[in-house]
Amino acid sequence: MPDRELELLRGTLDVLILKTLSWGPAHGYAIANWIEEVTGNILAIEEGSLYPALHRLERRGCLESSWGLSENNRRAKYYALTEEGRRALRAESSAWARFSEAVGMVLGSARAPEWARSR
Amino acid sequence: MGQEQMSPVPMWRRIQRFLGADPAADIEDEVRHHLEMRARDLESRGMSADEARAEAVRRFGDVEAVRREVAAIDDAAGRSERRKVWAGDLAQDLRYAFRSLWRSPGFTFAAVGILALAIGANTAVFSAVNSVLLKPLPLADPDRLVMLWEENPERGWYQETAAPANMFDWRERVEEFIDVAAYLSFPDPVTLVGNGDPLALTARTVTGNFFSVLGVAPAAGRFPRDEETWSTSEAVMVLAYDTWVRSFGEDPSIVGSIARLNGVPYRIVGVAPDGFRLPGVEADLWRSIQWDPADMVATSFRRAHYVRPIARLRSGVTIEEAAARLDAVAVSLEAEYPETNRLMGAGLTPLHEFLVGDVSATLKFLLGAVALLLLLASANVGNLLLVRALARQRELAVRAALGAGRRRLVRQILVESLILSGLGGAFGVLVGWVSLRLFGTFGTGRLVDKVHLALDFRFLVYLFAILLVGGLVFSLAPLALSGRVSVADALREGGQRASAGQGARRISGALVAGEVAIAVLLLAGAILLSRSFSALQRVEPGFQSSGVFTGGLAPPASTYGSGGEIVAFFDEVIEGVEALPGVERAAVVRQLPLTSASWTSDFSIAGRAPDEYGVEVVHREISPGYFEVMRVPLLRGRTFTPYDRSSDDQVSTERVIVVNEVLARQYFPDEDPIGARIAFTRTPTDDAVWWTVVGVVGTELQASPAEGARIEIFAPVAQAPTRGMKLVVRTNGSPASFGRPITSLLRSIDPEIVLADPATMEEVRQAATARERLMTLMVTAFATLALTLALVGVYGVIAQALRARRREMAIRVALGATRVDLLTMSIRQSLPMLAAGIVVGIAGALLAARFAASLVYGVEPRDPATLGLAASLLLAMGLAATILSSTRVGTAHPSAVLREE
Repeated sequence: MPDRELELLRGTLDVLILKTLSWGPAHGYAIANWIEEVTGNILAIEEGSLYPALHRLERRGCLESSWGLSENNRRAKYYALTEEGRRALRAESSAWARFSEAVGMVLGSARAPEWARSR
Repeated sequence: MGQEQMSPVPMWRRIQRFLGADPAADIEDEVRHHLEMRARDLESRGMSADEARAEAVRRFGDVEAVRREVAAIDDAAGRSERRKVWAGDLAQDLRYAFRSLWRSPGFTFAAVGILALAIGANTAVFSAVNSVLLKPLPLADPDRLVMLWEENPERGWYQETAAPANMFDWRERVEEFIDVAAYLSFPDPVTLVGNGDPLALTARTVTGNFFSVLGVAPAAGRFPRDEETWSTSEAVMVLAYDTWVRSFGEDPSIVGSIARLNGVPYRIVGVAPDGFRLPGVEADLWRSIQWDPADMVATSFRRAHYVRPIARLRSGVTIEEAAARLDAVAVSLEAEYPETNRLMGAGLTPLHEFLVGDVSATLKFLLGAVALLLLLASANVGNLLLVRALARQRELAVRAALGAGRRRLVRQILVESLILSGLGGAFGVLVGWVSLRLFGTFGTGRLVDKVHLALDFRFLVYLFAILLVGGLVFSLAPLALSGRVSVADALREGGQRASAGQGARRISGALVAGEVAIAVLLLAGAILLSRSFSALQRVEPGFQSSGVFTGGLAPPASTYGSGGEIVAFFDEVIEGVEALPGVERAAVVRQLPLTSASWTSDFSIAGRAPDEYGVEVVHREISPGYFEVMRVPLLRGRTFTPYDRSSDDQVSTERVIVVNEVLARQYFPDEDPIGARIAFTRTPTDDAVWWTVVGVVGTELQASPAEGARIEIFAPVAQAPTRGMKLVVRTNGSPASFGRPITSLLRSIDPEIVLADPATMEEVRQAATARERLMTLMVTAFATLALTLALVGVYGVIAQALRARRREMAIRVALGATRVDLLTMSIRQSLPMLAAGIVVGIAGALLAARFAASLVYGVEPRDPATLGLAASLLLAMGLAATILSSTRVGTAHPSAVLREE
């Protein structure tokens, strides 16, 4: 994947993870599943890429992890949001909202620009 | 890819996980969990187990890549986490160390104090060594500079000053030299008269190319040119930077102006750069030598030896090559000028080595002594730390039990040692700085010109090295102890019985034995130097120095041109001084005794065989009252009277001289020297000048006592007028108070003449042995400190041992042991330690003896009396410390001790 798209994707993935975990602690599989469910499978992320993101977020201090037993009685790593993580979520969410609003303004524009009007 | 991820967790992994965290396994588990969940999900939707598994993997992506990426992230995270923990631990250790040092102020104060003293002494001595021996000369390419000298076995000359004519021949004929410059070997006191008050300064006379050969750039103006060596050019001079600042206020307009030195005008052409100096060659200004070109071919130009030539070697030329060529040239000069150059050899030495050679042995000796002191101090502090660690054994054990790993404990001890080193070092540098300023007050005995605290990188390296070595030495002891900390042992009641305690005491004993050895060594050195110094002091100087005032006097040539005018000036001065209240007698003399010998010549005695000439007789011109002023006894005949003078217009009266006793004994063993006639040349021709001996006087020491007295003749200044003389005045009170009245008297005679270097003869006498005095004082101080530390060490070890055996001793006392028995026990404990230390110390002293050989006078370095004294002193004081310790510690009441359980 070209680098720019990877960057965008990384940033987006981070905020999705943070939002997901804002509902409560979960392990990696549950996070992946929920994102797919909520978006009606529009966002089908490569599931593997979730884990580097999770570990990075943990390193940054946004998440903390603990080991537990999952539904299938297996050892699983659960992630939870920290205070830092909540702050990051708020910041990223508003940034994202502003971004998508801006994009929407451009896409939904009614007036043509100067250089196209004379046609 | 497929099957492996799905297999159940192997047993060994489970066990491994039980024993501790395993990051690789964690990643494995996380990934495996996800894949299993996905597969299960897909299966529940209808896929077959195999299809589900394959689909799960497909959806996941590149499993291996994910594993690697996550591992990398975790790794990085782990590292930064560990760093934080480490820093946190270190901060905690530091806080803890500071707190515990703060809580035992006695120990901290003692340890830091001991280290500060030792490091301070090291700082001071090293600064001296650095500034004299280590730092290169502040010249361009100083390794290419060599000092040229002449030698003559017949006269006992070695590394002597050269004759100018020889120097010029070397310059021309030795191609390995780029250029040769020279300075006159004796400093000239001059009076400089410029725009302000006359100044008494020290001048060095140099050839024109002096500064260009040395390779420096002027701070102002320019340096002399080669042609300004000769009288055909204007006389020029260069000021020293300090002189320019001190006496001329850094005034740039001074450059180019003319000032008179002893009445002769010189143009100030420039100022030397700040920091320019040749060790041992003091100068307030440098002036051109102004040789007459016509003199170049005169015999005297080749006969009189008074210059110090410095040559710069061509690049690529080795010293050996240059020396070989110089030697060859000297040989051919010998053949060309047999009269003057017979047996006159030549040689060269690297400049720095030549200039500092005579002090390097002294400085190295001091450095060795002070390093030993530091070693001792470190051992002492190590002992203190050991005792402390022993006392804290219980605490250390508890901390070990609570999870502090052994490495952590070791690190804590190290941190404490480092803090002590750091504090000791910081205070040590302060102590060193203070000592150096004190040295300035007491005089460094010409050991170094001026010692500044050497705060350059060399010093920092040295400081780091000694802190490291010292720190290692005094950490080793408690570290060795910490290895034996056993929780169970220490927590047991009566924990001092633990084997660690015994091991610690053995280490303590060894450390103190080492301290005793060093103390013996330093003590032997101090005793040796003291005996040498007092032997020097006891040498009879041949005159009476107390009550005599001295000063330098030089009537300028412009006002006092002829010999008669010079003599009349001195007569006037002497008459005026003798009229002052409190003055008994006054006189002038060319050179004071106990400084350095005046000029020398060959001589022949009338009526002896031609090959019976003498060499190296010292000449001193004096006024008639000299021997009375200095109270030198007259042994035979008479001294000079006012009638012994030469008049310019009449037939001169007979030329008379007085000889000293050494000459009389050596050259007139069986006959009366009175009436003998002496000429000052090896082979008197018909027009030679003959002098008649009229008296024999007692021998004065011309230079330092270590050099011995030389054969000498005195001539009346009226018959041999000399411009630069010293005034000596016998007073009936304190001579120091005569400086001002004599100066004002001089000003009334001639306002342009200044009394140079006023001092009492006692001060001059002290200065002659100043270096030896300084050395003796320093080594005695080191030895005293060493002795104190060693004795404290002995006291401490015995006290420890006694405390450890308290119960045993209490039982013995209860069973009837007397104090003497306990004493015997203690002595039996300390004696081996003392004996071992003393033996090693004596052995060391014998080994080190050859380094001291050149530094002592009148005593043999291996002298058994010295060593015996040092050994017995230490033994006696060591036993005293033992007895004191045992008396004080062992007096607890037995029942009290037994109840202590």
